[in-house]
Amino acid sequence: MPRFSPRLLLTASLLLLALSVLILSQAGYLRPAEGLVLRPLVALQGVIGPRLAALRDLASSPGDVATLRARNVELEAEVTRLQQEVITLREQAAEVDVLAALLNFARGAPQNRYVAARVIGSDASPFLRALWIDAGTNAGVARGMPVVNQSGLVGRIIEVYPTASRVSLITDPAEAVNVRLQDSRADGVTSAQPNGELRVDMIDQDAEVVPGELVLTSGLGGNYPPQIPVGQVISVRRRDFEVFQQAVVTPSVDFDDLEILLIVASFTPLTTQPGQ
Amino acid sequence: MGLLVLIPVSALLVIVQTAVLPFFELLDGRADLVLLLVVAWALTGRLLQSMVLGLVAGMLLDLLSGVPLGVSAIALIAAANVATLAQGRVWRAHQFAALGAVLLATTVYYAILGLVVLLIHPGTDISLALARIVLPAALLNLLLAIPAAQLVGSLERTLYPPKVAL
Repeated sequence: MPRFSPRLLLTASLLLLALSVLILSQAGYLRPAEGLVLRPLVALQGVIGPRLAALRDLASSPGDVATLRARNVELEAEVTRLQQEVITLREQAAEVDVLAALLNFARGAPQNRYVAARVIGSDASPFLRALWIDAGTNAGVARGMPVVNQSGLVGRIIEVYPTASRVSLITDPAEAVNVRLQDSRADGVTSAQPNGELRVDMIDQDAEVVPGELVLTSGLGGNYPPQIPVGQVISVRRRDFEVFQQAVVTPSVDFDDLEILLIVASFTPLTTQPGQ
Repeated sequence: MGLLVLIPVSALLVIVQTAVLPFFELLDGRADLVLLLVVAWALTGRLLQSMVLGLVAGMLLDLLSGVPLGVSAIALIAAANVATLAQGRVWRAHQFAALGAVLLATTVYYAILGLVVLLIHPGTDISLALARIVLPAALLNLLLAIPAAQLVGSLERTLYPPKVAL
């Protein structure tokens, strides 16, 4: 009988044992035992695994920091881009509001034809209250045409170029607008002060002007169409020894916030000067 | 006595191997801590214990993997045997003898596992598995072979202090 070395016998026994386990396992006989062993093993894995993973994270954190920094730069660039987009969208939304208001205003006087123009700048001189708009003769704009927005009268065209025009505001000291006070039906003429304050002069002493009264264009003189809001009376100065009384008016238009204007293109101002 | 300590240690290594080492892969290969323990323990001259350890630890490994229960046990027993084939002739003669033992053991271990995987999944691309799993794993095992052998040698000396003649 051949003699086997103990090592060979041992190896063969263990391999046979392992093979038996393999066969029994594949046959499904070891399922309960597997579950029994697996349960504590998995529990231990659940305890140890996350802790070791945390240690791994700690060890690999420098790499993560570099990745995070790069990601942060990317996200900051994205935030900047989105902020610019938000600003653009807000501008567009504000513009839509203005246009909607202008449309409403235009619907109020459908007999008029309007040319819309964007304010592109203000007058270079601080002493003049005027604006530049991006519509000129190419768009049918002519000198003397009234300019309005959704709140009321802005001014009139005083210079025209093919693609741009200059608008003199009613708050310019050189401008005078014939107005009518809505309730008292008194007529007057606006005169602007250098500080932009608007007054209505030439109001008949007998007129009962009260603060809060609306001031509209009267259409007299032929420079502006009638019934355009100019402002609201905030105070009245009435002296017995003067021929006329005077009212201080707050303009209905916010001249510091002008973006898009409407030129009343269907209105032709009357002029007494020849050749114009 | 040795197995009482080694089996819990191997259980711990099984968990580390399944929970942590997947994060430290080289390509798709990872170090085989259990194999290193079994081989290193075999190299201390305690082949019987290392084979029993291989049997138990292999089953634990299989429990946490998709390989049929017992396959890793067979592979580890075979690896322990192969690693100690030249024991006393080559391995102990050189400081880096563990490298050769681990290389041989890894080859046998993966040969057996590969064979089983081929049987289970006949369509497996062997060349790809060799390039992306076996070779990187062998490299990692070789890198850890000497530290593992030294650690396990220290453990062996602690558990079995050399007898001193008075």
